[in-house]
Amino acid sequence: MSSTARPLPVPDAQSAPFWEAAARHELVIARCARCELLVHPPDVVCPRCGSTDPQFGFTSVSGQGVIRSWTIVRQSFLPGFDVPFTLVDVELDDQDELRLIGRLLDAPEEPPALGATVRVAFEDLSEEISVPAFVLTDSA
Amino acid sequence: MSGRLLASNKVAIVGYGQSKVERHSEQTLGALAVETARACIADAGLRPEQVDGYVSSSLLPSAGSHGAVDGVNFVTATWLAEHMGGHATYAAGFQGLGQIPGIVSMAVNAISSGAADYVVVQRALNNPTRGSYHANAMTEISGAQQWTAPQGFFGPLAMIALSYNEYLQRYGATREAMAAVLVEARKNGARIPWSYWHDQPLSAQEYLASPLIVDPICRFDCDIPVDGVASFLFTSAERARDLPNPPVYVSGFAMSAPSTWRLPLHWPLDDIMEVGADVARRLYESAAISPADVDLPQVYDGFSPFIYYWLESLGFATRGEAHLLALDGGLDSDVRGALPALSGGGALGNGRMHGVPQMLECYLQLSRRAGERQREQASIGLACHSSPHLGGAVVYSATPY
Repeated sequence: MSSTARPLPVPDAQSAPFWEAAARHELVIARCARCELLVHPPDVVCPRCGSTDPQFGFTSVSGQGVIRSWTIVRQSFLPGFDVPFTLVDVELDDQDELRLIGRLLDAPEEPPALGATVRVAFEDLSEEISVPAFVLTDSA
Repeated sequence: MSGRLLASNKVAIVGYGQSKVERHSEQTLGALAVETARACIADAGLRPEQVDGYVSSSLLPSAGSHGAVDGVNFVTATWLAEHMGGHATYAAGFQGLGQIPGIVSMAVNAISSGAADYVVVQRALNNPTRGSYHANAMTEISGAQQWTAPQGFFGPLAMIALSYNEYLQRYGATREAMAAVLVEARKNGARIPWSYWHDQPLSAQEYLASPLIVDPICRFDCDIPVDGVASFLFTSAERARDLPNPPVYVSGFAMSAPSTWRLPLHWPLDDIMEVGADVARRLYESAAISPADVDLPQVYDGFSPFIYYWLESLGFATRGEAHLLALDGGLDSDVRGALPALSGGGALGNGRMHGVPQMLECYLQLSRRAGERQREQASIGLACHSSPHLGGAVVYSATPY
């Protein structure tokens, strides 16, 4: 599954904890220190309480959720992806409307149903970088 | 903003220029922009030295890795003003949601405030000759896209595919319904001399046979990248009386308000429709009309699903049922009583002119300059731009009211 031809994220001051956790196969999400909202991706200002100093800390989340939409990518506009692959738009159980988009690994031939449950999985792209993806809970 | 637009029907379009829409023009985009602006000014019965304002939006809607250059891949208002002889005292570009409503609003503001008397509103689109339009060979991803692209979510096709599939699954819509939409757009585009698709209608069979690229999107669901320029001459209603063409008045406009904080290019269907309903409400208030008053609802169609989203946002179809309207022939602009939402061919029937076909169809029909395509009933037009949640719309009228 690993492919060094895929583009790799370049962690920055804000995203570094996310990618460090991903390398350990742990999903963490930024949380506003003021109002405790989970914010993905982390923003400059907290989208709920408006704090301009949200002091985001990354907190471990369940990584479980439901599929809100999906698509099958048959032509990739980025290098290094073998096609076709399935992308899923997932609402995590941890908070209303907390959404992540990722590949659905080991996708069955039949496309997934909206509302199907998934959990996070990780693709190891390099020694330092693993990228969050999902697997269907039933097929796990 | 809420309530009636203070400048409603006080500013009018009095002329236009539209270049040929081609895959690749032999001319540099800037040269095409200057020629089109000159044609527009002449069409309005004016001389270039009388034009004191230039407004444009210069977004190049591409995800590819092109080295974009002003005057080559895009044309800013300042570039155009400089190359039109330097008579302008007002040159400004739009940055915000809804490129076409944005530049129309800037022209209305400039004229109604007295900052300019005659304003060229210009949009120039380029299909870069180097590299694929959306493909990008990047090997490292920094900034906002690090949250999506390493995961395989990249570019506008995946963006629209997720919301469209949500629509298909939720409402049981079929590709047959969208085939009817594409047939209608291309039928009308085929009648337009400057269209890239002139004389090239599309059959439902061709649409249905086209392989999916990013499910459920096939290439016919996407407007084709082109080189093309359009210009419109705006002035006050008072000055318009002395000019040769019947004026078309700007009655109102509304732009989308920024909504829920999301991942880059993540457009859940509910985001689109919630903001769309708000845009529609403000639009109708701005122009003091209701959906029943609109003769020409020109919906945006850079990607075909936008047609459904706009029809439902604007109240021309019940939520979740625009696909049924299309399937039942309800969008056939040749049928009396049907909704001529694609009578101008849109972007699917003209090429990637980014909201220009909708605006131009309103102008041509309302000024009764549409030639063989002239419609009998054309008093109020509505031109949409982009997605309902990241765009906007303008209402035009053939008469001030």
